[in-house]
Amino acid sequence: MEVLGHLAISWLDPWLLFLTAAGTLAGIYVGAIPGLSVTMATSILISFTFKWQVNEALALIAGVFVGGVYGGSRTAILLNIPGAPSAIATALEGYPMAKRGEAGEAIGLTTVMSVFGGFVGIVALAMFAPLISSFAIMFNSRDYLLLGMIGILLVGTLSGESFAKGAFAGALGVLIGMVGLDPMTAEGRFTFGSITLMGGIPYVAAMIGFFGVAEALSQLNNLDLPVIKQKIDRIIPKLADVKRYFRLALRASGIGTIIGALPGTGGDIAALLAYDDARRTTRNPEVPFGKGCKEGLVAPEVANNAAVGGSFVPMLTLGIPGDAVTAVIIGALFIHGLKPGPLLLVETPHLFWFTVGNLVLANIFLLIFGLTGIKIFTKIVECPKAILISLIIVLSAVGTYAIQNNPSHVYWMLGFGVAGYFLKTYGFQVGPIILGVILGPMMDSNYRRAMIGARGDVGTFLWDFVSHPISLVLSIAFALMLLSQTPVWRPIVARLRRGS
Amino acid sequence: MSEPSPPSARRPGELLFSLLLAVFSVTAFWQSYAISGFSGLSEPGVFPMLASATMLISSLVILRDVVSKPATADAGFAQFRRDIVPARLIVVVGFILAYVITMPLLGFLVSSAGFLFLSFWYLWRKGPLVAAILTVVSLGAIHVVFRQVFQVVLPQGSLIQGMF
Repeated sequence: MEVLGHLAISWLDPWLLFLTAAGTLAGIYVGAIPGLSVTMATSILISFTFKWQVNEALALIAGVFVGGVYGGSRTAILLNIPGAPSAIATALEGYPMAKRGEAGEAIGLTTVMSVFGGFVGIVALAMFAPLISSFAIMFNSRDYLLLGMIGILLVGTLSGESFAKGAFAGALGVLIGMVGLDPMTAEGRFTFGSITLMGGIPYVAAMIGFFGVAEALSQLNNLDLPVIKQKIDRIIPKLADVKRYFRLALRASGIGTIIGALPGTGGDIAALLAYDDARRTTRNPEVPFGKGCKEGLVAPEVANNAAVGGSFVPMLTLGIPGDAVTAVIIGALFIHGLKPGPLLLVETPHLFWFTVGNLVLANIFLLIFGLTGIKIFTKIVECPKAILISLIIVLSAVGTYAIQNNPSHVYWMLGFGVAGYFLKTYGFQVGPIILGVILGPMMDSNYRRAMIGARGDVGTFLWDFVSHPISLVLSIAFALMLLSQTPVWRPIVARLRRGS
Repeated sequence: MSEPSPPSARRPGELLFSLLLAVFSVTAFWQSYAISGFSGLSEPGVFPMLASATMLISSLVILRDVVSKPATADAGFAQFRRDIVPARLIVVVGFILAYVITMPLLGFLVSSAGFLFLSFWYLWRKGPLVAAILTVVSLGAIHVVFRQVFQVVLPQGSLIQGMF
């Protein structure tokens, strides 16, 4: 009964209801506009929610996340430009459908199926997070250190041009997170005697700089791209279609939830894997894959929305963000004085169940907004980039300033924005940097606790990594990850395949 | 996308950028060492040293990869200016810099109005009147949403405090 009460908080409070709806709507539009990412929107929004109640902030952010993941599919279908990486597979089938005059049908089908995937992800979150959380209480300092390193490395290796660039970005983030007074000894690290630096570099300035300003500067190169217009017809999907793709949607939901729950992976990988699965398992599709096949449209959309629920699992239970967006959300939780991790469900269970209930609500709003207002939507998406870029920069500056009313944070934001522009231009991903900024201090304190526990003896410290079952499993996972990035990996895999 | 394939040729300025990363990593390692040296394994400088050592090793790998790529014939300074730091980028960064410097002095409304007007005019090229109207409309909307609805404290400006 108590759980139901927490679940229904955002359903019964008109202000929270409004914030969830506004977040979902904003997420759909932000996610749909190519170049504007959900991560960017979330990081800018967080700064404005700093002085709010945590429930209000979470309601808005959850709405933006759910809406944004879905929003990317709209422009993928209408313009063949995925609004987000998770909509790349959607564009492969959605745009050919739009060219056949079936844009409305494609949007309607993706909306209904995305909501279905979203619900499956939320059910998985509600069922498995408490289990994982109770298991994670057994984790030791070294396990958290390993989890942090695995999370950063996975994001770095899966999303960038090369392992070295991912590792560099993650380590750079850790270093940025180290700036300030050491919480254990109060010794200054990279402060250069500056009182401002002693307080550290705020996450939000880094997030907004790397995701907001850097993205806006990158978009300056795309100002002159022509606007493509599409005609929209029927939007509500046929019931027969929904029934026909139910089994496929269920399978894609499973893929999405599991992939979303793995640290370092997210909706984009889930969508591609589900698309690949649909292509391999669909026999005799009505239309071949790549030519506007509905199975190929449904699978990635279901999977990327299911991944939202999945990605909350490691974030809330282990304190490890699954991807860049959850890294930003975890930053918001820290700002609001919460510590995501196994104790979150023990100490603040209301917050967990509130999040679950709120995600359900966001999906309901997604269904409503997804099936309406398409004509206004096409007009807004056509908004010139020149206007959007200027507005993003103003919002970024105000958002950064609003955290502590400190002008120096705005300079940091600009500095990170310019650095982020060059890093992105030369093929670096900024996601691992933010993960590093957020996880760096946690990894540092856990490393030192583990080392103190080993009485400063390197041999004991290393032995602990292989002599405890949880640490051993995580160490093997970490070692395999590192090995998979070396030239010896392929021959090993080839030999194993031949052997099997 | 999971793994965008890196371009086969060196991008303009990529070699210099990679070199700068390596130099930055060396400096970061040196600064990390300066925190507590090698005095103990649980000292505050150990983890920064591990992070900066990772940066240094990866920056050297990146540098090696960049050096091994063939340089395109047009990878000179002119190409770098055109592709990587075009005039538009320099101008907009200049606008932003002026904006963030003037914000604490002139306050949110005046500095944002100036920034929005200039950037709309420069980037959209629809004339000063359109830029001015758009500035007033968008600034009004931002002010209502963030100041009135969300109660966000916006910078007042030390030079013209109380006027806006």
